[in-house]
Amino acid sequence: MGTYNFNWHVVQDNLPQLMHGLVITLQISAVGMFLAILFGLFLATMRLSQYKAMSSISYGVTQVSRSIPLFVLLFWVYYGLSLKFGIKFSEFQAGAVALGITGGAYMAEILRGGIMAVDPGQQEAALAIGLTRFKASQLVVLPQAIKIVIPQAVNVYVGLLKGATIVSVIGVADMIYVAQYVSLQTFRPFELYSFAGIVFISLTLSIAGFAWLLEKKLSHGRVNG
Amino acid sequence: MTIPTLDTDISLVDKGRVLLELRNVNKSFGSHKVLRDINLSIHKGEVVCIIGPSGSGKSTLLRCINFIAPPDSGEVVFEDRSWKTFHAKFNIFANKRYENTLPNLRSDIGMVFQHFNVFPHMTAIENVMLGMTKVRKIDKKVAREDARKRLEQVGLGDKIDQYPEKLSGGQKQRVAIARALALNPKVMLFDEVTSSLDPELVSGILDEMRRLAKAGMTMIVVTHEMNFAFQVANRIAFMDEGKIIEIGTPEEIKNSTEVRTKAFLSSILA
Repeated sequence: MGTYNFNWHVVQDNLPQLMHGLVITLQISAVGMFLAILFGLFLATMRLSQYKAMSSISYGVTQVSRSIPLFVLLFWVYYGLSLKFGIKFSEFQAGAVALGITGGAYMAEILRGGIMAVDPGQQEAALAIGLTRFKASQLVVLPQAIKIVIPQAVNVYVGLLKGATIVSVIGVADMIYVAQYVSLQTFRPFELYSFAGIVFISLTLSIAGFAWLLEKKLSHGRVNG
Repeated sequence: MTIPTLDTDISLVDKGRVLLELRNVNKSFGSHKVLRDINLSIHKGEVVCIIGPSGSGKSTLLRCINFIAPPDSGEVVFEDRSWKTFHAKFNIFANKRYENTLPNLRSDIGMVFQHFNVFPHMTAIENVMLGMTKVRKIDKKVAREDARKRLEQVGLGDKIDQYPEKLSGGQKQRVAIARALALNPKVMLFDEVTSSLDPELVSGILDEMRRLAKAGMTMIVVTHEMNFAFQVANRIAFMDEGKIIEIGTPEEIKNSTEVRTKAFLSSILA
């Protein structure tokens, strides 16, 4: 046994700040996920376009966005855009956009798979009753694709949630930032980061559980009806 | 060769009025030519059955009519309005504008598919209501009442709130028929609608189609059910290798001297 004595009081004493950080983490990952879904839907639609050029551009953007480390992306969005183009984001906005771009690239591939997994006859039937292509996607194809996509989308969200811990480097006061800040004053990083770890584990598990329930609830006829 | 007696009601066919016409329609998938120069006129109230070996282009012909599979060339004339494939290579917006006119054509043409294609995430009545509320913009309450009647007509009055997964193949196909009829289409397209049904469910669906034909609906029916075709059709078209080889009354087709028609009929009715 080592000689390190845990002192969990430091967590207890700073709980309000840590919880406030957690709220920021949840907010930024939620906004990031929202952007990721929009960006992913946009890329997936382009990817499935009948125009080769559109499809290729989407493929390129997806691959590049996916390969940029989140850390680098954060710096580009926060410092790069403002230095080079004068586009100024707040720390929170920059963090959410960076998460949206990374997550969007993953969502694009997942959504594309989901849309392609829906029987083409569904779209045909929707068009045949006179729906526009847009309405057919919105009312018939996407609702079915979403069911297929939910488990993987949850994985992306869990990834973003963990990715959201990196946003502290540009000064977003998320839970890791608070933990770091407090540990600099108290010299108790181990307790603080462990606490953050436990919070994340329980978050991830409850999200997975929620997704499981959602999937069950939505499971009407996944195969061709 | 035994062919059942005709019970076609000629009086329902309005000989003076061509409702739908295909002119020089061609369609290829890659290098494979599926339709070659198809010409076909359908009169109001007429039932035309399309028969022929698999892969002869019957289904594609049907799908060209409502541009689910847009023809490569040629035109579809429906109620004196001509529809052609428009496809600009680069002007995506022009293509979108064109695409957005197609629902006008499609909503007047009901279609029923081989694999039902009912929407699995909606109940039976929601399936029927979708086109009414989103295409015809009918008020939800009114649509619901009408949809319920439509489902009762096809014998599904007690299943209106069921999801398709709880329905048999025959019941799903009835939902699909009700869904198509809900828009009051002027012509109905049937694409091998009994081919994926269990044998004992086939006659029920054929009866629905007979009922529709008797009510004067204009119908184009791609089918392998020869008894149905020869009993119900006003005219039968025989297709092979992407062409309409021959079209005529059941009597004419039955007594055809065309080699391929004879070969096909004898192989099927043997």
